[in-house]
Amino acid sequence: MTRPTNRRDFFRDLGLGAAALPFVLNLPSLGFANQAARKKRLVIMFSPNGVIPSAFWPNEEGSKFTLGESVAPLEPFKDRTLFLHGVCDKVRGDGDNHMRGIGCLLTGAELYPGNIQGGSHTPAGWASGISIDQEIKNHYQKNAATKTRFGSLEFGVMVPERADTWTRMVYSGPNKPIAPIDDPYQMFAKLYGRTKDRETLGSILDDLQDDFRKVESKVSAEDRRLLEEHATFVREMELELRESTLAEVGHAMPEPEPGVRKDNDNIPKISKMQIDLMVNSFANDFSRIATLQYTNSVGQAKMRWLGVDEGHHELSHNPDSDAKSVEKLTKINKWYAEQMAYLAQRLRETPEPGGTGSLLDNTAIIWTNELGKGNSHTLDNIPFVVVGNGLDFKMGRSLKYKRVPHNRLLLSIAHGMGHELKRFGNPDFCGDGPLSDLS
Amino acid sequence: MRTAILLGLFTAGTTALAADPARDGAAVYKADCARCHGARGEGSKEFPKPLIGGRSIGQLARLIAKTMPEDDPGTLSEADARSVAEYIHGAFYSELARERNRPARIELARLTVGQYRNAVADILGSFQGIGSWDSSKPGLQAQYYKNRRYRNSDRVLERVDPVVRFDWGTDAPVPEKIEPHEFSIRWDGSVLAPETGEYEFIVKTEHAARLYINDPEKPLIDAWVKSGNDTEYKATIHLLGGRPYNLKLEFSKAKQGVDDSKDKKEKPKSLPASIRLEWRVPGRPVEIIPARNLSTVRSPKVFVVATAFPADDKSVGYVKATTISKAWDQATTEAALETAAHVVARLDAFSGSKPDAQDRGEKLRSFTTRFVERAFRRPLTDEERKLFVDTQFATAKTPEIAVRRAVLFALKSPRFLYLDPSGRTPHDVAARLAAVLWDSIPDKPLLDAAAQGKLATEEQIRAQAERMLTDVRARTKVRALLLDWLRVEQPPDLSKDPKHFAEFAPEVAADLRTSLELFLDDVVWGEGSDYRRFLTDDSIYLNGRLAKFYGVDLPPDADFRRVKLEPEARAGVISHPYLLAAFAYTATSSPIHRGVFLSRSVLGRSLQQPPEAVAPLAPDLHPDLTTRKRVELQTSPAMCTTCHGMINPLGFGLEHFDAVGRYRKEEKGKAIDAKAGFENLAGESIPFDGARSLANVLLASGEPARAFVDQCFHSLVRQPIRAYGSARADLERKFTSRSMNIRELLVEVAVVAASTSSNRAALADVR
Repeated sequence: MTRPTNRRDFFRDLGLGAAALPFVLNLPSLGFANQAARKKRLVIMFSPNGVIPSAFWPNEEGSKFTLGESVAPLEPFKDRTLFLHGVCDKVRGDGDNHMRGIGCLLTGAELYPGNIQGGSHTPAGWASGISIDQEIKNHYQKNAATKTRFGSLEFGVMVPERADTWTRMVYSGPNKPIAPIDDPYQMFAKLYGRTKDRETLGSILDDLQDDFRKVESKVSAEDRRLLEEHATFVREMELELRESTLAEVGHAMPEPEPGVRKDNDNIPKISKMQIDLMVNSFANDFSRIATLQYTNSVGQAKMRWLGVDEGHHELSHNPDSDAKSVEKLTKINKWYAEQMAYLAQRLRETPEPGGTGSLLDNTAIIWTNELGKGNSHTLDNIPFVVVGNGLDFKMGRSLKYKRVPHNRLLLSIAHGMGHELKRFGNPDFCGDGPLSDLS
Repeated sequence: MRTAILLGLFTAGTTALAADPARDGAAVYKADCARCHGARGEGSKEFPKPLIGGRSIGQLARLIAKTMPEDDPGTLSEADARSVAEYIHGAFYSELARERNRPARIELARLTVGQYRNAVADILGSFQGIGSWDSSKPGLQAQYYKNRRYRNSDRVLERVDPVVRFDWGTDAPVPEKIEPHEFSIRWDGSVLAPETGEYEFIVKTEHAARLYINDPEKPLIDAWVKSGNDTEYKATIHLLGGRPYNLKLEFSKAKQGVDDSKDKKEKPKSLPASIRLEWRVPGRPVEIIPARNLSTVRSPKVFVVATAFPADDKSVGYVKATTISKAWDQATTEAALETAAHVVARLDAFSGSKPDAQDRGEKLRSFTTRFVERAFRRPLTDEERKLFVDTQFATAKTPEIAVRRAVLFALKSPRFLYLDPSGRTPHDVAARLAAVLWDSIPDKPLLDAAAQGKLATEEQIRAQAERMLTDVRARTKVRALLLDWLRVEQPPDLSKDPKHFAEFAPEVAADLRTSLELFLDDVVWGEGSDYRRFLTDDSIYLNGRLAKFYGVDLPPDADFRRVKLEPEARAGVISHPYLLAAFAYTATSSPIHRGVFLSRSVLGRSLQQPPEAVAPLAPDLHPDLTTRKRVELQTSPAMCTTCHGMINPLGFGLEHFDAVGRYRKEEKGKAIDAKAGFENLAGESIPFDGARSLANVLLASGEPARAFVDQCFHSLVRQPIRAYGSARADLERKFTSRSMNIRELLVEVAVVAASTSSNRAALADVR
């Protein structure tokens, strides 16, 4: 995909409206008939390399708690935030902790044996199960009341151009990783490509019809019949385009900032563009499930815009006694918390179409990570923070579980979305079903 | 064919069975009607209204019975009214009859689906290169590396591997230079798609592999992460036939990810390693990609339009693109949008400029002009340049938007979508040459010739046609022509009764088709290019598997080669086992199907389906009868013999070959009788005995030459040959006087079709 410098102009300057009815170019409808019931949405946001626990987890348990430094940006949403401490990724088997950390995070299932060698432990391949977002998506797509055009959207920010265990979090099934789309223009084309095509088409139709008349005049009367017949199809297309424009239903098309290249220093811009596209696709009900993956497990973002010049993963190995590194890692996670807060804010300020309240009232954002803590590589106390009311959990609390397997949380998420699974991933870790105390 | 149970009453004319004592319809018309309505229903002075309309035969018969003749209505018997109605309906009254009677003319035709896809591929290819096929360099370039890196310093062996089919066990491929537990290999080159369609590529390995087809950046199969027990990886891709596609296959027997080899003290145990690169050509079984479809020469990327099109009309026997539908128009819109998106996404490469360069706008405008020119197959007029280029650049906010619009506009314009069938400029000639020989657009040498006035004479046009005929696109089109001629373009189902032919596996059937194709290619492109070899050649292409089945001594893994197989009994395509098996039942031969096949394809005779479906006599009911006797019994009634008298003997001549094309001396303990007579157009019966003698009798009749001229013309030009004046007779005369040289015929067909109408007028137009 190219990145022309004029994208904004491009959208503004073409005459036709942004959205239209489906019959031109076989576009699936932008408006669905499934708008009656409450629309529950789920976003899973990933950042890598663990957290600094003291700056992340509230000390207190219950509804009275203080936000640590790295999660301070969530303050405006504190009453609809939920900290889930004590949730552990107990899945073992092949692969090092970074690999299992991301590969088993949403699947709750072991990695297959394979040829990808980590920094320690045995080599491994892909996860052996579907991820919870795709499981819920499949459930939603089966039902007309919850089916959407895309079912789910997989966003990424600065994900490396290689497919391996460290770069994939979402799985459509065993051995079937799904690559996140980390190019906002590519995501834009996926969401709005057809709309754009119609606009281009609309811009040449008058000239095309003139052209047909000119060519018709040059051929014999017998041959002209064929061209005239052809020209009627062109006219029909014009009428359909026009009707679709008249029937515009008022969905705003976002305007991604033009010319942003995939580059470490553009991470903040790309993050914002992706979040804006995500909120927009929710407002248009293109999808009710989304994932947002920042970099990858072992990700090496250099947050120079925060004054952090070192790569994230490299820093995360430094000992707790290294105060500078701890400070930088706190800053890094605070930046991720800001992204979550921006998403929450955008959802809060966007009214629920055809419903009451805002998108945030019906959306749960879950921020998570492949490790509990970077320098210990532990899979205990995996960061899980929920913002928003999509799962109908009781929010505004800090919960402290006693080392519960994260498979149970995955079950809770599915239940919160209305998909009452009994087991998910490795059944050994689904013991007592969904977590108690959530709602 | 095998599954068709229609046989029996092939009627040669339009009149139906004379089932009642009615008089002949034509005679009644002549006697009682023609005086007012005219000899062909054209009307007369008193009754000027022509006899045309939309009534059915039944309605017409009732009307005639009630109202005709006008001076004495009701005097015609019902049967006579019926037969006269049948006659005029078929002769001139109905719309179909009028269509049939219309003089042939060269009609304006849109691009066929194949032409559309080829044209778009070649427009874009003209900016980035179009691959040519070098069949002298079969196989793939292979490079072997001693560890997991593809570094020159780690390379230990370079060679050509004819196919990718290796099983190293726990050893290393180059034991003296490579450790068995870790090595990698890269194969490079091109793969030739023999026909258009969905191809499935399959990589089988226990280790990591990546396969790139066409797109050198994005793997079609990415199994670089070895995960679990999968050892077979498949992916499909739509390819245009007659084009080489870049192919790269990477194999790695090594751990990926973190390189911990230096930390390990002991070398890991070597696990078994193997790799196979297979494919499934549309409609064929899976096979190892054969060396003849691989070349060590790399190819530029081909843009293949993915949009699905409605199939072209082939009801007249060849693809005819003189009708359109809304679905087709919508497909052209989708395909144009798809192409525009592809172009805009790669604008830097296509235009040779960078987004922020000073001359960006200029470069994009120049690219757009060339794009439109190539789409229209000629230089633009000032008016066209203004409309398709200048206006777009003047009204779009940015040059990039202008390009998108212009590409869409050009590909939706009738100037691209239609071929001028009679334009007189040199560029019209060039466009027709490219359509006829390549189903595509002119290449640079052809456009240059047009621009320099070097397409003015027949000799100049011929020289270009001769050059173009050597291109792989022409070879592919000719192969399709020949398969069309033999009525097997859509591969027939060759499965046979396992009780009789247990060893006739799908692989054998697929090999037979390859054998036929190799033979066809050999005749056309080999020494002499002599049509007569099609009918009389006494050798056949067999590989090890076929040799075993047909009883020839070859090594089991032998590749295809020309061998003699019952040379005294076989004769070219007439006795090729693929066709013998295709035109047969599952357990027995079918002289009728074989006879119809020879009548229609080799002799070019038109036969109509029998008006009644007749089930073939079951062999079980006549256990003592040979196939020939059974067929003779079934078609013995007088009403059958009109057609079957001509059809059956042709098939009887092939009775030495069973349902899988194996030679036999007897059937059911009775000696095969392959003696029969060929009924020529003069109604004489020329005796023959067996396939070789039949082939010679057919050749001597002259009918095959005419049929083949028609076939070549229609398959290449997709216009009725009758519309080209004396071309048919001229081509036939040239063909027969030039030792039936096929390549010369193809060139002459292209010359006739491409020449301007003024040139054609000089060819003594009799229209």
